[in-house]
Amino acid sequence: MVTFLQSLVFGVLVGGVYALASSGLSLIFGVMRIVNLAHGGLMVAAAFLTYTIWNSTGLDPFLAIPLVCAALFALGCLLYQGVIRFAWRGGEASIILATLALAMIIEGVLALVWGAEPHNVTPSYVNSSFRLGPIVFPAVQAIGFVIACVLLGALYLLLNGTWLGRGVRAAAANPTGATLTGVRVERVNVVTYAIGVALTGAAGAIVSVLAPFMPDSGDRWIGIGLAIVVLGGMGSLAGGLAGALLFGIAETMTTTYVSTAWATAVPFVVIIAVLLVRPQGIFGRTTRRDVMAG
Amino acid sequence: MRKLLPLGALLVACVPPFFVDSYYQNMLIMVFLLAIMAGGWNVMGGYTGYISLGHSAFLGVGAYTTGILANAWGVSPFLTAPLGGVAAGVLAALLGLVTARARGTVFIIVTFALLALLGIVAVNWSSLTNGSHGLVLAIPTWDAAYANWPFYYALLGLLALTVLMSWAIRRSRFGIGLLAIRDDEEKAAGLGINTPRHKLLAFVVSSVPIGVAGGIYGYYLSFLDPRAMFTIVASITLVLAALLGGAGTLWGPVIGALLVEPFSQWTNQQFTGPDAGAWRLVLFGGVLLLVVLFLPHGILPEIQKRLKRTPATAPVGKRLDHLPVARPSGPRTFGPALLEVTGLHKGFGGLRVLDGCSFDVKRGSITGLIGPNGSGKTTVFNLVHGLLRADSGTISRPPRLARTYQLTRLFPRLTVRENLLAGARRPEKAMELLEFIGLADYADKLADSLSYGQQKLVELAQVLMLDPDLVLLDEPAGGINPTQIEQMAGLIRQLNSSGTTFLIVEHNMPLVLSLCDEVHVLANGHRIASGTPQEIQRDPLVLDAYLGADFRELHGTNS
Repeated sequence: MVTFLQSLVFGVLVGGVYALASSGLSLIFGVMRIVNLAHGGLMVAAAFLTYTIWNSTGLDPFLAIPLVCAALFALGCLLYQGVIRFAWRGGEASIILATLALAMIIEGVLALVWGAEPHNVTPSYVNSSFRLGPIVFPAVQAIGFVIACVLLGALYLLLNGTWLGRGVRAAAANPTGATLTGVRVERVNVVTYAIGVALTGAAGAIVSVLAPFMPDSGDRWIGIGLAIVVLGGMGSLAGGLAGALLFGIAETMTTTYVSTAWATAVPFVVIIAVLLVRPQGIFGRTTRRDVMAG
Repeated sequence: MRKLLPLGALLVACVPPFFVDSYYQNMLIMVFLLAIMAGGWNVMGGYTGYISLGHSAFLGVGAYTTGILANAWGVSPFLTAPLGGVAAGVLAALLGLVTARARGTVFIIVTFALLALLGIVAVNWSSLTNGSHGLVLAIPTWDAAYANWPFYYALLGLLALTVLMSWAIRRSRFGIGLLAIRDDEEKAAGLGINTPRHKLLAFVVSSVPIGVAGGIYGYYLSFLDPRAMFTIVASITLVLAALLGGAGTLWGPVIGALLVEPFSQWTNQQFTGPDAGAWRLVLFGGVLLLVVLFLPHGILPEIQKRLKRTPATAPVGKRLDHLPVARPSGPRTFGPALLEVTGLHKGFGGLRVLDGCSFDVKRGSITGLIGPNGSGKTTVFNLVHGLLRADSGTISRPPRLARTYQLTRLFPRLTVRENLLAGARRPEKAMELLEFIGLADYADKLADSLSYGQQKLVELAQVLMLDPDLVLLDEPAGGINPTQIEQMAGLIRQLNSSGTTFLIVEHNMPLVLSLCDEVHVLANGHRIASGTPQEIQRDPLVLDAYLGADFRELHGTNS
């Protein structure tokens, strides 16, 4: 029973971080219908950036998050203006291939700059933990969970409490309608993409402390991100949160009760199973499609 | 001449092993392998428009099946390689069940996930695959001087078969169906193409050559590394080859492979040492990005576009003098109701579009369905055609029914003739119908090169290919010029006099009044009036619905 509860706690803690890690992917898909396959690579890039900041200045990796976010926001703007905007004309296949190409380039560049060996950010408290009864809470996982929740809350407020958020939601619901009512959809798209990448960056900073990473760790993160987005109903942030917790628990349970080797298969099993059985996602709703026809 | 060219190319490709050393033999073997993979992928990604990022999984599955069976039975992997193709086909059929529901992005993600999952399975299921240690195959026993030859000719032969298969598909009705799915899947289904079966078959067909090639390739390597056999990089390379050469063309994948593989080998030589892999990632990613952004259609279509000059004489549409101009005079009698709609209700969220709508269409008639904007006409069409399901109410429809769309939906990248053949019951009727609508000279033009009015006529011919009992026309006169409206009206009359029943939604009142035998008027989701055009013109309820009570009072038409 303790083992089960302990796994559950680990699952929830890591699920919170997964929620943040997939929020950028979900946001970008929700607004622009773009599956950003560069997502995993960008996250690992943020992890390496955190590593370098921590390694060269000694700044705490969690305190470095604003810096990493700012850098990734800028990178997001650059990628949108330089690539996404043009690839969009070729339709959904060409945009997904363009982001895949970006993922390859990012992975290559990371390997050239930082090398192919595993890196890990290890602040002094990396191995400390506290207990509530028999249940162990590792410090870094708990901090990561809290920060993830705070950032997701901030995203929620941004989307629901500001003009920018309204513009984003309007553009997501109906780009043409949004344009007609004066929303500058193109600008909304840039900002959305950049915010999505910045959130991914925050997640990258957190996971740099949780586990060792390499340039090709992006493959794992895009798998996890896609699985969560698919579980939650593509483009739904609330669904994504639920999907992330569920996924975190499922993965931890697989590690505990099956094996670590098979835990890596969980995201892909989830993706295929969900899309086969219920393409709108577990928490997604079916939407009206008839208006698109005719 | 055109037929001899591929044969010549095949003969030329047979020569090199006699003259070149093993380095170039290896390069050509890898070119053939990549061309087979890109060519197989092309059936799904190019013809059908379903981009798969998981096609290299079929290579891995084929290679492992071949290797495991050959080891177990103690036979040459050449003998078990066809079973590798079978395994790939079975896997594709299973995965193809996904394609019944998943389109576009979702399909791409599923194939992406499948590849990753199979890679993990190959590593973890070590009792079968020997896991990450890799699987060792038998070493070739023949003379080392000819070490590469059997692989070279086996893959060359397989490539020839793949191209031949691709060619046969492109020329067949099946292939036209695939291209129709690529251009407009919903419309293709509306024309009676069994889209799930087409896609499933396309997926299987595109995987089998790759599975066989996997078996041969595995034997060539004599060693299967699960990470190398299921790598996404192989998938990306084959997609790159197909895109670069020209997805959806016959020779594009081969041309792409001829360019990409030597480039790949060149980067292998240029970059050595610990950073080699990273540089290759950057280079391949960069090339893929450039192709997607600047050469999205590929080399071959680009060349064809440059070479194509405007012909000195452009085809013109025929005058259609044979068409009746006026409605046949005298009283007309009709059969029993061919279409009967009773008490239809349909809402979208909070919006009630149809609210107890009932009407019928009598056999042999031209029936009009009019009403103000938003009265539910198009929704009625979608329900009758089966595109939407009613919340309640019954529709009794004839077995064969076809529709046109308000905004014409031809398959833009098919020729006019292929557009007609896509859903045809009797293919031989195509030219006859093109003569009938006066566009026979356009048979081999691409549909999107026609004017909008011409496209409307072609769409009419397209649905007539289905030998329908009832044709639903959604605004046949919308957006076309008066001469073409006259033509359209004449064609409808002509077809009607030879037995076709029509239900027409149209805003052009003079046309409706001159064409229709009976008119139903919809407002607010139900029928408010029915009758001959003359009766409808005088009906106060109809005038109300269209123009409002004020107008009637103002003009004193309230009689």
